[in-house]
Amino acid sequence: MTPRTTAYVIYLNAFIVGSALMGFEMLGSRYLFPYFGGGIGTWAALISTVLIALTLGYLAGGALVDRNPSSSVIAIAVALAGVYLAIIPPIADPVIAGILDVLGDGPIAILCASAVLCLVPLTLLGMYSPVAVRLIVRSTEEVGRVAGLVYGISTFGNVFGILFTTFYLIPEMGSRSITYLFGAVLLASAAMLYAVRRR
Amino acid sequence: MRHSKDPGTIAVVKVFSPVRPTTAPLLALACVVLFGLVATALSPSAVGAGRKLIVEKESLYNNIYIYSDPPYVSLTFGHNGRLYTESVYNTKDDLDLPVTYTRYMTVGLAYAKQVRSILEIGSGGGRTAWYLHRYLPEVPITTVELDPVVADLARKHFGIRDEKNFEIVTRDGRLYMRENRSKRFDIIMIDAYRGPFVPFHLLTKEFYAATKAQMNPGGVLVQNVEPTTMLFDSATKTIQSVFANVEFFYADGNVVTVAYDGPRRSQADLLAVATARQKASSFRYDLTAMLPKRRLMSDGMGTISPDAKVLTDDFAPVEALKAIEKHNRKWAEP
Repeated sequence: MTPRTTAYVIYLNAFIVGSALMGFEMLGSRYLFPYFGGGIGTWAALISTVLIALTLGYLAGGALVDRNPSSSVIAIAVALAGVYLAIIPPIADPVIAGILDVLGDGPIAILCASAVLCLVPLTLLGMYSPVAVRLIVRSTEEVGRVAGLVYGISTFGNVFGILFTTFYLIPEMGSRSITYLFGAVLLASAAMLYAVRRR
Repeated sequence: MRHSKDPGTIAVVKVFSPVRPTTAPLLALACVVLFGLVATALSPSAVGAGRKLIVEKESLYNNIYIYSDPPYVSLTFGHNGRLYTESVYNTKDDLDLPVTYTRYMTVGLAYAKQVRSILEIGSGGGRTAWYLHRYLPEVPITTVELDPVVADLARKHFGIRDEKNFEIVTRDGRLYMRENRSKRFDIIMIDAYRGPFVPFHLLTKEFYAATKAQMNPGGVLVQNVEPTTMLFDSATKTIQSVFANVEFFYADGNVVTVAYDGPRRSQADLLAVATARQKASSFRYDLTAMLPKRRLMSDGMGTISPDAKVLTDDFAPVEALKAIEKHNRKWAEP
């Protein structure tokens, strides 16, 4: 595997991971609305949970890749996120209902429910970009360009994920099926990343 | 928003859907571009000559405008540059229900085996629940409104107040059901709209199952459903997946859907109940006069598309369905 091929695979997966990340945020709303209503409060909890996850993911990804500069770091993170998504459909309803019954419907309860859905997988996916930059960069002269490209592609993936999920997937299939779909896509992405790891 | 001096002819309420689906994508684009302009144009002083804007308020959920056009006061929500009338109140006549479909929302009284408790989800101005309260002061009525600002304005401008057997609860409807699982009702009325949309979680099989679970035996569900889009078909199929019987009352542009379990009630049976209750309470909007408008699925009214799917918490693309206009005119009055 040439470094060039590796770089392409990492850029491609920045898009895939970015799409799944924000696509899942949109799905999160479908899980939460039946319990907490479709108001601005639910969205605020969901968006802040996603941003907390990204904060943690950026920090963790940056720290981990300096110790172990290999794409196996993100391969494992993305795979774990995929596995987590696959267990959400069966557990989401009882867990969210339990939170509602115990904590009520205030901001704390909505944040907890969003955290159960999003915090773990999106933190794992949030690790992607800093790791990707570190793995692609060959010299300090190209850091700006590489970082710009990684974040640009990943953010464009976010946009695609939001729009495709909202306007195509949700009208076509159930939220649980879409969650499994995202889980499968992430596992495929992890396999690609694992294949290009450097030993 | 169509405006009329005679509020009895305000035919399209909460459901005004002026965008044709073929032009919708183009219009959507135009809306994005013109959003700022449209928002400014909404500045309600420009709307309608005889009416005066008396309240303009932004809440967590709605842009609320209250107009006075004596003796009427109307509650409207601005949504994407349009105003949707939610409630009309005749300040001179506390028992008037100026909007036709709201009269038919009371038709559950002709069905329910007993009338010991009534729940309404989606109060708006609270006029329908208040009308029932005035005629049935001994029956506990709970009306649930998501938006606390709307509930406060209803108390202030729509002549309703919290008193014995009349309770206004500010809560998401679904959440209220969940938190009050032990309560039982004889009539559950659902009229929850945000602008043109019904929140998806109030249209799913799981939600209707919850309403059924909280119904006394012989209870009835009454819902205002806007009939011109595919959402009507899906909503009907969904209600049918939970209740044994689904029937309709066409009311000036809206359809009031009635659902209940058990064997189908005969017209004579309903007429007997309606006559007795009408005699006991002298409702202004005569229950017995509503019954001839009753339509069953088998009457071919509102032929439901075979493509319509049952909506669930998992799958409920209400926005997409809402965008598909129905092309039959079956709901037109014969």
